[in-house]
Amino acid sequence: MTENKDVWVYSEKPALQAELIACARQLTSHTGGQAIAVVLGPRSLAEQTLRQGAQRVIWLGELASGRLVEDLVPTLAAGVQAKTPFGLIIGATIRGRAVAGRLAARLGVAALADVLEFQWDGPALLARHMVFGGGAVRIDRPLASPVIATVGQGIFEASALQAQPNGEIETLPWVEPPWQAAVIERRSRAVSSVNLSAAKRVVCPGRGVARQEDLSMIEELAQALSAEMACTRPLAEGLGWLPRERYIGISGAMVKPDLYIGVGVSGQAQHTIGMSESRVVVAINKDRHAPLVSQSDYAVEGDLYQVVPALIRALKARKA
Amino acid sequence: MKIVVCAKLAPDASDIEIRSDGSISLERAEWRIGSFDLPAIEAAMRLKDAHGGSVTALSVGPQRINNSKLRKDLLSRGPDDLVLVAEDALTGADTAVTARVLAAAVRKIGAVDLVLTGEGSADLYFQQVGLQLGELLEVPVFNAVSNIEAKGSQVRIERSLEEETEVLELPLPALLAVTTDIHTPRLPNMKEILLAGKKPVYEWRLADLEMERGLEPRVEAVSLRAPRPVERKRILIEGSPEDAAQTLVGYLAKEGVV
Amino acid sequence: MAEDVFDAIIVGAGVAGSSAAYRLAKAGLQVVMIERGPFPGSKNLSGGVLYGRVLHELIPNFWESAPVERVITNQVVSFLTADSSINLDFQTEAFNQPPYNGFTVLRARFDRWLAEQAEAAGAMLVPGIKVDGVVKRDGRVVGITADGEEMLAKVVIAADGANSFIAQNAGLRGKIPTGQAAVGVKEVIGLPREVIEERFHLKDNEGAAYNIVGYATRGVPGGGFLYTNTESLSIGLVIHLDALVERQLKPAEIFEDFLAHPMIAPLIKGGKLLEYGAHLVPEGGLKMMPPLAADGLLLVGDAAGLGVNNGFVVRGMDLAIGSAVAAADTIIEAQAADDFSAARLQSYPARLEKSFVMQDMRTYARAVNFMKNERLFEAYPALLANVLTDIYRQEAQPKKNLVPTLLKNLKASKISLLDLVKDALAGGRAL
Ligand SMILES: Cc1cc2nc3c(=O)[nH]c(=O)nc-3n(C[C@H](O)[C@H](O)[C@H](O)COP(=O)(O)OP(=O)(O)OC[C@H]3O[C@@H](n4cnc5c(N)ncnc54)[C@H](O)[C@@H]3O)c2cc1C
Ligand SMILES: Cc1cc2nc3c(=O)[nH]c(=O)nc-3n(C[C@H](O)[C@H](O)[C@H](O)COP(=O)(O)OP(=O)(O)OC[C@H]3O[C@@H](n4cnc5c(N)ncnc54)[C@H](O)[C@@H]3O)c2cc1C
Ligand SMILES: Nc1ncnc2c1ncn2[C@@H]1O[C@H](COP(=O)(O)O)[C@@H](O)[C@H]1O
Repeated sequence: MTENKDVWVYSEKPALQAELIACARQLTSHTGGQAIAVVLGPRSLAEQTLRQGAQRVIWLGELASGRLVEDLVPTLAAGVQAKTPFGLIIGATIRGRAVAGRLAARLGVAALADVLEFQWDGPALLARHMVFGGGAVRIDRPLASPVIATVGQGIFEASALQAQPNGEIETLPWVEPPWQAAVIERRSRAVSSVNLSAAKRVVCPGRGVARQEDLSMIEELAQALSAEMACTRPLAEGLGWLPRERYIGISGAMVKPDLYIGVGVSGQAQHTIGMSESRVVVAINKDRHAPLVSQSDYAVEGDLYQVVPALIRALKARKA
Repeated sequence: MKIVVCAKLAPDASDIEIRSDGSISLERAEWRIGSFDLPAIEAAMRLKDAHGGSVTALSVGPQRINNSKLRKDLLSRGPDDLVLVAEDALTGADTAVTARVLAAAVRKIGAVDLVLTGEGSADLYFQQVGLQLGELLEVPVFNAVSNIEAKGSQVRIERSLEEETEVLELPLPALLAVTTDIHTPRLPNMKEILLAGKKPVYEWRLADLEMERGLEPRVEAVSLRAPRPVERKRILIEGSPEDAAQTLVGYLAKEGVV
Repeated sequence: MAEDVFDAIIVGAGVAGSSAAYRLAKAGLQVVMIERGPFPGSKNLSGGVLYGRVLHELIPNFWESAPVERVITNQVVSFLTADSSINLDFQTEAFNQPPYNGFTVLRARFDRWLAEQAEAAGAMLVPGIKVDGVVKRDGRVVGITADGEEMLAKVVIAADGANSFIAQNAGLRGKIPTGQAAVGVKEVIGLPREVIEERFHLKDNEGAAYNIVGYATRGVPGGGFLYTNTESLSIGLVIHLDALVERQLKPAEIFEDFLAHPMIAPLIKGGKLLEYGAHLVPEGGLKMMPPLAADGLLLVGDAAGLGVNNGFVVRGMDLAIGSAVAAADTIIEAQAADDFSAARLQSYPARLEKSFVMQDMRTYARAVNFMKNERLFEAYPALLANVLTDIYRQEAQPKKNLVPTLLKNLKASKISLLDLVKDALAGGRAL
């Protein structure tokens, strides 16, 4: 494959697409190519994407009804094969992961997953990401081209919308997928609109909380602190006590509050990677050997069923 | 229904040792079935229980995954047999190489109706191999599958996407990467563990899979290190709950966070 | 599945269980070994000195393939007071020649290896299952139950350690009374290999074993130990339960003091805590031994109350292996005669009686009471320390004769001469 130096980006989420464009511009400032966005949707979206900073847009038109975003894989593969860009960055949503994986297989490369940072080692691109559930940082060097990578939300900062975009909009011929899934139903799930990443204070219960009804006690603590409720993954996924949007960690939300209080949280790397940038970390745990205790500023050794009520009283007394 | 379920055997992340220079050692780590692959095995068993057929577990990796403990671990969770491609050439294989070897193995198993994978492997958690594998097999492939109902030569699946649940119908054969909460994995009992020792294990070599090409790495790991630790004050507060709470609130006030 | 009846079911894959399984499987018996941990050794308080003689008989030259840490070339007995220590150092080249006298082992690795040897010999291992009790028919043990499932065998071997729930469930013994048990607290502390070799003056895979008496236990009867592994130290205390209860002390407090002692602290400095745990240790002694055989049931290792804890030496692994071999040989004979009655199985205690196991148990029989003597842990180390301090301090003057120094200090220590003589005699007999 003879390479050109462009970097393509694709995400079905416009906000993430804007961040990917910023990422592509960072990369092309080194490769010397253009940041090109692939758009599936109305023409207005393609124009909007130019304003987001794309130097060119590949517009695939609107998705036909009964079709899935994933159906663009053969078209994208054919386009990449024809135009041979340096790389393709895809938003790390569930659909984005599906697109990246399938595309990588078609093109005979391995997708770099959930990249946190790109670096250059001379002409060689390096990508940093977490492995072992946040227990280790790995730097990978792709050996095959094109480079395909997924990047999540909040890793790159979108630039301000441009008033006068001057990029072109081009198209690619649509390639029919070899198989098709019938869409039977789509139900939107009630998503509690919580923006944990923006919270100033976070109270995070873990498996140390024995019963779902005991969460009311933790909520009371959160209220006393004007904090957001978060949780560890098992409480959201598995137990289903709290919505999935509320769990912190490598596969959940990344938070940077001024205060994080882990209540009955052991502090496995998969979790702590999501809160390690908190300013003040407090652990309440009956086991002083729990990993979170040694990664906290203040740790209260004790039974949360005694410590939390005492803490609520102490906070209320202070306010009074 | 003939089902193949792919499970990765990998070192346990909680056994990582951090050396004083920040490099990490996995020498002493215990190798286990990825905890996110157990729900896939359970999903395979539920389908077999409901519709009959067979379940083959499939794992590829370095030589050390071929040991009696891991074999028994996999088979005691229900699969009828196990296919292992265990060669040191596969140490640290990237997702593309792994998917290729898995694809060759699935083809060799033959006449497979459904391939299941976990959400992500325990060590890499790239959530990639299943999708790549499905594409290489040229069958319908979906991730985030949280429910599967088989209906003849079709399956109806539910996908848990970020903001919606999507219900799809697709023809078999297919590949589905399942979520962790599709089913709670069963704990093997005594009889199943004993039985596991007697189930067939097929040890295939890369040469058996006729994989002359496609094994060159697409990605090279340049470094693997512990994340930079954040310095914390590490003040341990003991004593009665009331005293401890008072002390903590005092500290938090000083930090200006209450 | 038709109901299988195995030749033997072994409960517990510690050193005793795996040794028995190995011997039986080698003899061609169908053996199942059930272990509650996810793998053998995972529940074992890791570390310790394995006196290797008997394992060498079972698996010749085992050290060539087993995950042993260091060869013990340096045996040290340390007497501690609050601020001093006196070491009796014993080194001999003989310890460094095969068949070596002792090795340090980490149980998580060693027990696993031993179980693998049993599996390779043909034993079936069932990990991750906790046995709930024995199945009895007509008063005979015919199998075990776990999670509501039964598994049957001609004979069951209880190798489930000091608490032996199986022996209790079968009615062979009750719970260990606190007067007959000690609690072992222990940590494994990681240090680089070179640091260990430098601090303990070791080369290559040489190792040191310290057995510590005195202040370590704040005067509570018991003892401490510190063993060198390849890249870690095993350090712990064995403290008598009744004294703990009486004085209302927590083992953790005593242990923290111990680690901070001026003799210990520099040895573990800069180390990283890898593991910690506490475990019941039967203090051993003949009077603690339950009947060892019943219809269809044998007890081995700690489950049989076989253990020596005399304050200088904590020993049990080699006795566990010795008893397992004796039990296995008994079962091989019983199998040939197709008779697993209590009467037939009585040849097991008889075998043990003749082996080193019971000889050693007798040699140490008096040790337990002797070691409970509190003077030994408080007054004597202090006395010794004062004597030595006097001897070494008076540099300016010619040294006094040792006897007056001793007497002066003895007087100050309020130990009567009579006690001293009594203890000396008792100790001579017990140790
Ligand atoms: C690939 C992968 C990705 C993952 N991603 C995430 C992720 O994004 N986010 C996440 O959170 N997890 C994630 N996990 C799971 C993670 O490994 C841990 O299992 C999880 O974080 C543990 O949650 P916990 O601390 O609530 O529970 P536990 O580990 O069970 O800890 C409970 C703690 O509570 C303490 N406790 C118990 N009772 C009391 C009491 N009465 N009073 C005080 N303290 C008490 C205990 O001492 C213990 O420390 C992931 C795992 C994998 C393998
Ligand atoms: C602190 C300490 C230090 C020691 N130091 C030494 C030393 O240096 N040298 C030495 O020789 N000895 C030492 N000992 C003694 C030694 O550990 C024991 O004598 C030895 O482990 C006995 O072996 P065992 O196989 O009988 O029992 P264990 O090693 O206790 O093994 C019992 C096994 O049974 C399993 N089990 C228990 N219940 C069940 C159940 N219901 N179902 C299924 N499985 C079950 C357990 O998980 C375990 O694996 C020490 C002991 C302690 C506590
Ligand atoms: N070496 C392997 N052997 C078998 N299955 C694998 C292997 N690697 C990955 N998988 C499967 O692919 C899924 C995704 O893996 P990953 O892309 O590494 O996160 C896992 O959950 C497994 O089901």
